[in-house]
Amino acid sequence: MKDNTLKYLLVMPAVLVVFVTAIWPLIESLRLSFTVGRLNRPGSLDQYLGWENYSWAILYEPAFWNSVQVTAIYTVVTVGLTTLLALGLAILLVPGGRLRSGVQTLLILPFAMSPALIGVSFRFMFNPEFGLFDAFFGALIPPLADVSWLANPTLAFSVCVMADVWGWIPFLTLVLIGGLASIPQDTIEAAQVDGAGAWRVFKDVTLPQLLPVLAVVIILKSIFSLKTFDQIYMLTNGGPGTATQTLSHYIYFNGMKYGQVGYASSVAWLMVIPMIFLTYAYAKFVFRKR
Amino acid sequence: MAEVLLKNITKRWDDFIAVDNQSLDIRDKEFLVLLGPSGCGKTTTMRMIAGLEEPTGGEIWIGDRMVNDDLPKDRDIAMVFQNYGLYPHMSVFDNIAYPLKVRGTPKDEIATLVERAAAQVELVDFLGRKPRALSGGQRQRVALARAIVRTPKVFLMDEPLSNLDAKLRVSMRAELKHLSRELKITTIYVTHDQIEAMSLADRVAVMRDGVIQQLGTPDEIYNDPANMFVAGFIGSPAMNLVSGSIRGGIFTSDDNTALVAVDSKDRDVVVLGARADDIDITEAGDGDLDVPIYSFENTGENTLLTVQLGAQRIIARGERHLRKDQGDRIGIRLNPGHIYLFDAETGIRIRGNGD
Repeated sequence: MKDNTLKYLLVMPAVLVVFVTAIWPLIESLRLSFTVGRLNRPGSLDQYLGWENYSWAILYEPAFWNSVQVTAIYTVVTVGLTTLLALGLAILLVPGGRLRSGVQTLLILPFAMSPALIGVSFRFMFNPEFGLFDAFFGALIPPLADVSWLANPTLAFSVCVMADVWGWIPFLTLVLIGGLASIPQDTIEAAQVDGAGAWRVFKDVTLPQLLPVLAVVIILKSIFSLKTFDQIYMLTNGGPGTATQTLSHYIYFNGMKYGQVGYASSVAWLMVIPMIFLTYAYAKFVFRKR
Repeated sequence: MAEVLLKNITKRWDDFIAVDNQSLDIRDKEFLVLLGPSGCGKTTTMRMIAGLEEPTGGEIWIGDRMVNDDLPKDRDIAMVFQNYGLYPHMSVFDNIAYPLKVRGTPKDEIATLVERAAAQVELVDFLGRKPRALSGGQRQRVALARAIVRTPKVFLMDEPLSNLDAKLRVSMRAELKHLSRELKITTIYVTHDQIEAMSLADRVAVMRDGVIQQLGTPDEIYNDPANMFVAGFIGSPAMNLVSGSIRGGIFTSDDNTALVAVDSKDRDVVVLGARADDIDITEAGDGDLDVPIYSFENTGENTLLTVQLGAQRIIARGERHLRKDQGDRIGIRLNPGHIYLFDAETGIRIRGNGD
């Protein structure tokens, strides 16, 4: 057997798995998005509608726009908060020493938890009867003592944000520690000697050199925030009402719960648009030539 | 412009003492070189002056101000780093301009000053480039220009030439010397290269294990070393150190070879030092002592002869046309006016006849 043939034969199983589990569903969902596609209506999976699913979502469906809005705010807030807090933590931890190795081990714990688990544990923490955080915030901020967190739209949303930020800080912190550690110490000391105070050193020397890593972190986190599902599903299930219904959750609801797979597919493909931009930006930063 | 004063400076990390209770007075406009092997505390001393390292004890004065509690930015110093420490995301112009920019110098003034500094280090054509598009020598010039763009009280240079190749190092050394004579600013220069130290310094402080071994002009350090360490560290090749004893005014090496007459009382153990240039080479039988050649090296500008003296070896420098071969015998004669005696235990120089 020729090396060339063997080469392809060896990668075949992996390609096959990817095709069956990712490529084919992708193509099939694209096809479905142009059909009536109702699970409870026989034959509707082959009944073509043209762009009607898309125009319906965009023109006539406030629930769609609600979930777009929820997802957008959720993404901006979680990306912003997580990045800022992770950056702060990374700056505190980068000098190293005994503190860092200890904290670093603790840090990895939230990241080791599955998002669904994080969702469940936060739901317990904010339980009005026995929730630890509920009691804690109630004691700290008296007006919040008698509030049922997950029943209030704004508070439920903020609990979702909290859970997400809590779960993602460790990973981003570790990446940023790596980025900070790779900045030559010389350049920072040169700036100090040149007359820059701590803030100017950070702004003029540290931050510009951290920018490529920071960009990757922000893009990566944006992708994950956009597609958030499991945590929300376990924590609020999109509620109260649709206050925390992200796009993924909206798609799941329409496709799985209501059986409108055609419509759900079209919304899913609408979500692909921002994803393509982010993925492109990510690839550009990660594989960029110096 | 200012003098720098170190009063009983100590730097300790847990059990490790990097600098041990040292005092040093660096005069205004002086070019002082801290010289020593790696790990001797010279860079730590400089970093404490810069404020990048906090002394465990002692006082640092720049001009008439004690700067122990001042941040680096408030000490009015400029520093050139071993790895240049250039800002990779800024152009050469912005790199040089940075010390002015943080001090809020007006824009047009910055442009003039940067142009002038760049001209002094011959970088004018490269102002628009990023550091990574420059060669090592050019990067070093940028670092230098960034230091001289304003007039600080003190220049600190941490092995600035050590990352350059040998040829470039020699030409940059001359440029540095020229520049420092023009600028007349107090300069502290750290190096492990004794030739750099000898050729650049007004005064040299030779350090070892956190302690200054000797402070003096290059001439004093070379011709009048205070101890065996300084004697062995300065000069290329290093000073020959032969252990032996003195009986009746004659130095005899450990293997009972009478070497040279010395003006000293009798001593049982002593180390004799003689530089390669102070050993005369003669034909066998014409010198004080006949010895076999261990190795003969021709460097082009002169010749180096390593000869076997019992179990010890010494190096003598011969003139450039001398040709000998390994195993040949030659005569050597030590110049009694240019030999040094050291206490074998403490390494301290024995002066006069040591009574």
